[in-house]
Amino acid sequence: MSESKQQVSRRDFIKKMATGSAAVATTTVSSVALPAEKNKRYAMVIDTRRCVGCQACSVACKTENDVPLGETRNWVEYIEKGEFPNVRRSFLPRLCNHCEDPQCVSVCPTGATYKRKEDGIVVVDSDVCIGCKYCIQACPYGMRFINPKTGTADKCDFCLHRVEKGLVPSCVNTCQGRARIFGDLNDPQSEVSQLVATNATTVLRPEMGTGPMVFYIDADHTDERDAEKQGIYVRIDTHRRQQKRV
Amino acid sequence: MHELTWGLPVILYLFLGGLGAGAGAVSASVLLRSGGGDQAGLGFKIARCGALIAPIPVILGTGLIVLELGTFQAGNWFRFINLFKVINLSPMSIGSWVLGLFIMVSLVYAYTFLKADPHPGDDRHQLRKLSAWAMVILGVGVALYTGILLGAMPARPFWNSPILAMLFLVSALSTGVAVILLGRSVFGKHVDKEGKTTSDAYLLASSDMLLIGFEILVIFLFIMYSHLTIGSVKVAMGVILGGELTTLFWFGFVFLGLLLPILIELKYVIPTLLFQKQYEIPRSMEVLVSVLVLIGGFLLRYVVVIAGQITGSIGI
Amino acid sequence: MLNRRNFMKLSAASATIGLCGATVLTQAADLPEWGNKGYSRKTGRERKMVPSACYQCVTRCPNVTYIEDDRIVKIEGQLNSIRSEGVMCAKGQGGVNQANDPDRILYPLRRVGKRGEGQWKRVSWDEALTELSGRLKKLKDEGTPEKFMFHYGRMKSSTSKMVKSAFLATYGTGTIGNHTSICEGGKWVAQEFTWGGHFDTWDFDNTRFVLNFGSNALEAGTNHIPTSHRLIRAMAERNVRMVTFDVRLSNTAAKSSEWVPIKPGTDLAVVLAMCNVVMSEDLYQGDGEAFLKYCKATRDNFASVEEKVAALKKHFAQYTAEWAEKESGVSASLIRRIAREFATAHPAVVISYRGAVAHYNGNDTERAIQTLASITGNIDNPGGRCKAVGPKWKYPHGPHDKPKARKLALMDGPKGAAVSPNHHMSHNILKMIKDGSAGRPEIYMTYTYTPVYANGEVQENIDILKDESLIPFFVSINPFYDESAALADLILPEPPYPERWDWEDMVSPVQIAEYYIRQPGTKPLGETRDFGDVVCELAERLDMPLGFKTKKEFVQKSCEMTPLIKAVGGFEYMKKQGVYHDPKAKPVFFSYMKEVPAEKYEQETVILDDETGVYWDWKKAHLHSEEEAIKKGYAHTKKAYKAYVGQLIGNTVYSGFKPDKVNKSGYMELYSNLLEDKGVPPLPTWTKAPEHEAMDTDDLIMTTYKVATQIHSRSANCKFLTELYHKNPAWINPVEAKKRNIADGDMIKVKSAIGEIEIEARVTPAINLGVLAISHHCGHWQYGRYASGNKAPTGQDNDPDLDRIWWKGDQGEHPNWIIANAPDPVNGQMRWMDTVVKVRKA
Ligand SMILES: Nc1nc2c(c(=O)[nH]1)N[C@H]1C(S)=C(S)[C@@H](COP(=O)(O)OP(=O)(O)OC[C@H]3O[C@@H](n4cnc5c(=O)[nH]c(N)nc54)[C@H](O)[C@@H]3O)O[C@H]1N2
Ligand SMILES: Nc1nc2c(c(=O)[nH]1)N[C@H]1C(S)=C(S)[C@@H](COP(=O)(O)OP(=O)(O)OC[C@H]3O[C@@H](n4cnc5c(=O)[nH]c(N)nc54)[C@H](O)[C@@H]3O)O[C@H]1N2
Ligand code: SF4
Ligand code: SF4
Ligand code: SF4
Ligand code: SF4
Ligand code: SF4
Ligand SMILES: [Mo]
Repeated sequence: MSESKQQVSRRDFIKKMATGSAAVATTTVSSVALPAEKNKRYAMVIDTRRCVGCQACSVACKTENDVPLGETRNWVEYIEKGEFPNVRRSFLPRLCNHCEDPQCVSVCPTGATYKRKEDGIVVVDSDVCIGCKYCIQACPYGMRFINPKTGTADKCDFCLHRVEKGLVPSCVNTCQGRARIFGDLNDPQSEVSQLVATNATTVLRPEMGTGPMVFYIDADHTDERDAEKQGIYVRIDTHRRQQKRV
Repeated sequence: MHELTWGLPVILYLFLGGLGAGAGAVSASVLLRSGGGDQAGLGFKIARCGALIAPIPVILGTGLIVLELGTFQAGNWFRFINLFKVINLSPMSIGSWVLGLFIMVSLVYAYTFLKADPHPGDDRHQLRKLSAWAMVILGVGVALYTGILLGAMPARPFWNSPILAMLFLVSALSTGVAVILLGRSVFGKHVDKEGKTTSDAYLLASSDMLLIGFEILVIFLFIMYSHLTIGSVKVAMGVILGGELTTLFWFGFVFLGLLLPILIELKYVIPTLLFQKQYEIPRSMEVLVSVLVLIGGFLLRYVVVIAGQITGSIGI
Repeated sequence: MLNRRNFMKLSAASATIGLCGATVLTQAADLPEWGNKGYSRKTGRERKMVPSACYQCVTRCPNVTYIEDDRIVKIEGQLNSIRSEGVMCAKGQGGVNQANDPDRILYPLRRVGKRGEGQWKRVSWDEALTELSGRLKKLKDEGTPEKFMFHYGRMKSSTSKMVKSAFLATYGTGTIGNHTSICEGGKWVAQEFTWGGHFDTWDFDNTRFVLNFGSNALEAGTNHIPTSHRLIRAMAERNVRMVTFDVRLSNTAAKSSEWVPIKPGTDLAVVLAMCNVVMSEDLYQGDGEAFLKYCKATRDNFASVEEKVAALKKHFAQYTAEWAEKESGVSASLIRRIAREFATAHPAVVISYRGAVAHYNGNDTERAIQTLASITGNIDNPGGRCKAVGPKWKYPHGPHDKPKARKLALMDGPKGAAVSPNHHMSHNILKMIKDGSAGRPEIYMTYTYTPVYANGEVQENIDILKDESLIPFFVSINPFYDESAALADLILPEPPYPERWDWEDMVSPVQIAEYYIRQPGTKPLGETRDFGDVVCELAERLDMPLGFKTKKEFVQKSCEMTPLIKAVGGFEYMKKQGVYHDPKAKPVFFSYMKEVPAEKYEQETVILDDETGVYWDWKKAHLHSEEEAIKKGYAHTKKAYKAYVGQLIGNTVYSGFKPDKVNKSGYMELYSNLLEDKGVPPLPTWTKAPEHEAMDTDDLIMTTYKVATQIHSRSANCKFLTELYHKNPAWINPVEAKKRNIADGDMIKVKSAIGEIEIEARVTPAINLGVLAISHHCGHWQYGRYASGNKAPTGQDNDPDLDRIWWKGDQGEHPNWIIANAPDPVNGQMRWMDTVVKVRKA
């Protein structure tokens, strides 16, 4: 286990948001009904206890978003670990974290990448993007790629074209374990809020300070290097063209 | 292994941009130091050489980086203009503006030296002086920004250090000096009968030596700090301290690009420096030193750009 | 608060009232809608949506298909399905690639060069069908319709009824092969000998403990998504424990509470020992004992429960946990612990699949598993192992007068190869044709089946199919250019499933029947034609019209003929909704306990069989008189099982465990007189593959398996699936690897009795000692560019992703080259998991 495993309680989280963004009005969990015009803050919770590595999400994402071969908006890492017969394999689905403080946005020279005020989704305007790849370097999660069809930066956009119409993302509705839960973190009644509030959730690479909006329950944060130091066998498969974890 | 999203065009761009910016800044400061270029002679000649060289690599490098743009590759050739529709706090945005300004100013600056017989006090004198001031600022700006561009991202631990910008600046200046030296010794007429350069090269050589010395210091700091730390940065530094890029870094950059030229220069500068002897250096040696410095400058960019991309955050 | 579970309840509820149309799903305003509605990414406009059904795998989940610019662009789970609850696996999602594969065959092709040379000529349907019907007519006219052999793989529901029950039956050939023996035929036979039906469902919604022998339920399975998502839910929400016995750490094993590595082919030993624990420690008392009333455990059908207990105790006494440890490598204490846990969980479900049954001793492995479930009272109960429940469609049967089918005896393998191959011995059909002693077909036609690739002994399959003297005319019905089609004389292109009609009938894990249909999202591409439509035209050309002209008409008629469907609006309703289940229906459990009404067994032609206690209708068994029936007896009358009425137990006649393929009684037959009479031990008994007895110390056993992202050989053309899984390294334990000086990623040579392959090694602790595991999805040499790099003869270049196949040249190796086509000696199942191999560094 890496030292990065960190628990983000809802309170901390709100504190973070209150300081990080003007959009947040509430400060307590038990706040009353929120004003209707209040901005949303879309987030995803991935309950890895329910993830079986089936990759339905990966394929659903590809078909929904017509992602070219060789590139991925969503992938599922297989983490195989241990010595025979005490071996385990756990699964870590990866997608853009729609960070609260996304570096992909701060480095973008054209403003093509931005975080939407109304719902916190980090998007790329492919009509503006010049394809300089700076954001690709800047994302601490390796979530971005240049779409070979357009030459512009691409990544998970929480299926904006669906979410805008009130539908959950495509990877969410196909998930056979119902491991992916999507919703509005600014609505304390939403399932994501409830899950974040009542579980020991973690985010990936919290030390990057990006404030991810993808929260994991029971994620395996094993890192190959740490394991190697301890003499433990670990193999991480990403099923991507880029075979190593980024 | 992470993907190399930035390849040779970007590496060349960083190298050429730094080189041009360095040459421009050196040229302008030589000009201004010699009293604003009010006197003819040594300083003015050097300044002229740098001024004429400076825009070329920068324009070339900028052209190269456009080639690397995803949209350009996808056939959307003029999309890069979007860079200049906004200005924001992105190092690349600021950098592009600085770069754009530098190119314009460097052209103006070069223009003031173009005349058949440019000399201090001619009718372009005022413009020359004015643009020289701008050249110093913009040249340092461009050179620095290439480092900031890379250094700004925690996601790239190898790059993520303020020292990198320093390193790039010093290297830019040193390659700037080297290119002027090279230009002078190839095209210049400052060679005596025995094939030795005349003393006017002393200024350049000695400042180059100083710059290299400084660069060695910065490199030392860069490695020391990275080495002393733990975590992602340490792992990232591994690629030059016992990884894929070690040979290229130590032999290519440090030995060929820094140690060898500084040793050669020392050999020729010491007599002048310590014993006030006449500065003499064979032309071949001068060419060798500057070429080595240029190679070193390129390898630095090469190693840094690649190392930054094949390493990343550790842990998940 | 609307949490996930409430949400699911809600959607299930709205589905139940039948209210929930394609798009209506009422829920809290702030909660995004779940789906079954889609928008174009390009234009933002709502996409056309057509309720349909997946057919990537045999599970056939209801789905919805989205259409944009006349192309199928997206497939999603059907929210209103009580089976899948809207969930869809990777393969189902990848179905769009089937429709859009640039290597699809778009018009009929006639071979021009030598067979297998790859020279083709485009012909019209008229030309193709003129030739085919001419040949068919000739055989029919000559009185040898059986020389037309039809061999299918995945053919179910309406297509099966149209093709087999109507077309082939009217034509008169009974030379019909399936692929069941290479699939799960062995499991089916074992179940037919125990509880009659061939299919089991696992009630994960109500269970407390899952014991798994060789099922990769979370990655595969014949009722995959409907069961797997329930299994995850059970584990995640109810903390249901699951123990998986597998030779390697499948994802199912990985998600289980415990993975127990086991030696291949020794599950039987473990299960027998568990039965021993249950009997010797009296853990059968309670539910198990009560259930024994409905079981047959001795030769005598009228034995008391005490006698049954005594017999079982006596039989299983030999199989101690210590003995099983020696055979299986599973520790005796673990066997005891798991047996006790299973027996006391109430309810608990024991599941099994090909890992348990595709072996020499597979038949008794499955029978032993049935026994374990029985003696713990976990049969057909909520939370247990249940008899399958599926919809009962009514459909047109074609012309009334059908000839008595004639057939070539090719399907069951050589005489004596298996005792009771109820589902044939498909993997031996080509061998039988080569052998010639049972005759040879003049026309060999395959449908959704690739004999070359799906069976063992690939080279022999190729050699036989290439030989025109053995098979004069080979027709492949196929949307794609697979390794078998490449050897055909005529290829008739079928559109893949998203462009077809069907009614569907796969069983339901909630024990309530679900009716659903498949409808095309678009017109068939090119000149492709649904094979259902083709058989209608063939029938017309042969002057035997079937009474319907298209598959669509067949489906429509079936909808109107099926009372439940007719009542809610028939075909129009199904077209709009896609799925239907009776909202009043209750889950079917304990069906065997139902009493048979007196008027049924008191009918004139129904008599009680003294030997078995079975009431049966001798007339239905095609006997002529009661005397004859009494004389012959139920068990000894051919196909008497079709005449079964009920089972007398005590003084009551129960519907019991109705036979389906063999003349078993209405008991759950742990003890089989039928098998005993054929020389097979009547109670589950330990046997071991002879070649496993004779293994060298450095031999390994090669097993095969399926992954979550591929379906057999059939999905390798789906670019998004093959991108995820395109090579199939051989898994080997580090200890075994070290002995052979093999490092991870090395090429190794794997040699069996019939051949050798070279394949990459994956050295991993996630596999048992003594085993090598290779999946069977990779190593194509045809099937289009995404699968093999080779373009199909009609391939198009209209997919820009063709230039982005980054795994080119890294496409794995098919293990079937070196797996012998050997059967389980009892049920004829292909022994996929038994191959003894030598492994060395290449
Ligand atoms: N993803 C996917 N799903 C499918 C299919 C597919 O191709 N792909 N095909 C469908 C069809 S037709 C079928 S029949 C089913 C098959 O479904 P399953 O039978 O569940 O799947 P298999 O992978 O064939 O075998 C199951 C497991 O048996 C293990 N095994 C091998 N030998 C032994 C042994 O001796 N003992 C034990 N305990 N385990 C052993 C293998 O490692 C494997 O994990 O799946 C259906 N669903
Ligand atoms: N080594 C090894 N071999 C195995 C197995 C294993 O676990 N290991 N599993 C076995 C099992 S369980 C099974 S069920 C069999 C499956 O074996 P098959 O029944 O042969 O099934 P597939 O290989 O999936 O596909 C057969 C062919 O159908 C064609 N096809 C695809 N879609 C359509 C369609 O819509 N219409 C028509 N007409 N044709 C279509 C494709 O060209 C494909 O080549 O394989 C068996 N083979
Ligand atoms: S994960 Fe990367 S791409 Fe996504 S918002 Fe954060 S920094 Fe940007
Ligand atoms: S690639 Fe596009 S989105 Fe990324 S930083 Fe450059 S302009 Fe912005
Ligand atoms: S939210 Fe949409 S874009 Fe993001 S991973 Fe899921 S399917 Fe892909
Ligand atoms: S679809 Fe769900 S269960 Fe499957 S891999 Fe993705 S997150 Fe895991
Ligand atoms: S389980 Fe089978 S039928 Fe269901 S969605 Fe997956 S591939 Fe399709
Ligand atoms: Mo199968």
